[in-house]
Amino acid sequence: MIEIRDLHKSFGPLQVLKGVDLTVEHGQVMVIIGPSGSGKTTLLRCFNLLETPDKGSLALNNIKLDFTPGGKIPQRTVLSLRQQTGMVFQSYNLFPHMTALGNVMEGQVTVQKRSREEARTKALALLDKVGLGDKADTYPHQLSGGQQQRVAIARAMAVEPEVLLFDEPTSALDPELVGEVLKVIKQLAREGMTMVIVTHEMKFAADVADRIILMDNGVILEQGTPQQVLEQTKNPRALQFLNRLSGED
Amino acid sequence: MLPPCRSKKDVRTMDDRKIQIFLDSLLPLFKAGVAFTIPLALVSFALGLVLAIITALARLSSWRIPKLIARFYVWVIRGTPLLVQLFIIFYGLPAAGIVLDPFIAAVIGFTLSVGAYSSEIVRAAILSIHKGQWEAAFSVGMSRGQALRRVILPQAARVSVPPLSNSFISLVKDTSLAASITYVEIFRKAQQITATTYEPLLLYCEAALFYLLFCSVLSALQNVLEKRLDRYSAS
Ligand SMILES: Nc1ncnc2c1ncn2[C@@H]1O[C@H](COP(=O)(O)OP(=O)(O)OP(=O)(O)O)[C@@H](O)[C@H]1O
Ligand SMILES: [Mg+2]
Repeated sequence: MIEIRDLHKSFGPLQVLKGVDLTVEHGQVMVIIGPSGSGKTTLLRCFNLLETPDKGSLALNNIKLDFTPGGKIPQRTVLSLRQQTGMVFQSYNLFPHMTALGNVMEGQVTVQKRSREEARTKALALLDKVGLGDKADTYPHQLSGGQQQRVAIARAMAVEPEVLLFDEPTSALDPELVGEVLKVIKQLAREGMTMVIVTHEMKFAADVADRIILMDNGVILEQGTPQQVLEQTKNPRALQFLNRLSGED
Repeated sequence: MLPPCRSKKDVRTMDDRKIQIFLDSLLPLFKAGVAFTIPLALVSFALGLVLAIITALARLSSWRIPKLIARFYVWVIRGTPLLVQLFIIFYGLPAAGIVLDPFIAAVIGFTLSVGAYSSEIVRAAILSIHKGQWEAAFSVGMSRGQALRRVILPQAARVSVPPLSNSFISLVKDTSLAASITYVEIFRKAQQITATTYEPLLLYCEAALFYLLFCSVLSALQNVLEKRLDRYSAS
């Protein structure tokens, strides 16, 4: 469903992605792990063109893009790609001037031109689903971090994307709030939602992932099932990273 | 030698006359304020704000030409005195065949001024909104225009209410410059009354009181507005 080939991205002289190839199948949960600065966020942001790659190609269903240095992607293509992807940010990024309900309705009304009635019904159902049916009229600053992130997930779901992208959805959260967000993501996984998740939560990764990608220094070091990557890798750098993580726990 | 009682009586009639002039001037000055000063300030501010937003967006855009035009405009308006600009528009343009009514001339002058100064406020307010807000808007599929309209500008508006209120209060006072181009607002009304009563100290202080009154009301409104917008701040 998503195919990425030979993706390159630099920030000035800094080469962040140095040729990444990956495929995400429909209904699959792909988890991206790797040391800080290895390019996980940058790779994820290329999926919905918040970053424009310098080289390589990306295909999502029938949208196919080839990147060249300095090349411009037509705005129409960018928008239609973004309408088929949803993103959940580390720092939630809810719209602070809208209620939880408003946040979840916004994309439906402004982008998809649904009627307010329809958008409202759908938004309420989604808030219910993430366990916040009673918080519809609450503003973001009145919600806990875990609640805000669950609203953000509902907001991303509301436009019915083909794939949901998560960038460390729980790393800004107090430890006792992590569980409630992971539970929602696991629920989506069970329902067959296609997802790409960057996370440092290894137990969760092992639990939810169909496929794990281990990135290091702008390339994919190792990829496969959780078992293959987390337990059977022979790659010395991968082992180093995994050992350091298990040392932390 | 004059008897003392007579001199006291003289003073009293002097006072009575001043009080009478003061009272007689209240209504004309108030009317000049409500019918001329306030409309001029309101119309200029509304138009100026639109111009300020356009200018701020032009300066923030990546298009060279609009950016240059906007910078040039702000540079000229901020670098020349408002009084001189008003004279150019009202007394200068007729030489080029453009004759303007005092109200129109004043609206043009003040609109250009508000547009230039407030564009900096609007620009700073837009830049102060965290880039995560743009990205969140983009990630639900919004275009730049939609993100701006639905997500960025509403938040920027909140940030810019205090500085824009200050601009508006300054503008209300600056409208007194329109007296110099024959627009009969509070200050020119006071000048006219002074011409017949020869009481400059009294009349100009009275005019000042009216400005104080209008500005105090505006400050109070500013507070109310800020409180109402506070609802969703603290994030
Ligand atoms: N907009 C940018 N401009 C310049 N450098 C950037 C930019 N975004 C990321 N980088 C750099 O690119 C490298 C990779 O960053 P990225 O955020 O993708 O790493 P990451 O794997 O997500 O790390 P972390 O686990 O800390 O989030 C880093 O060295 C970072 O400083
Ligand atoms: Mg990151």
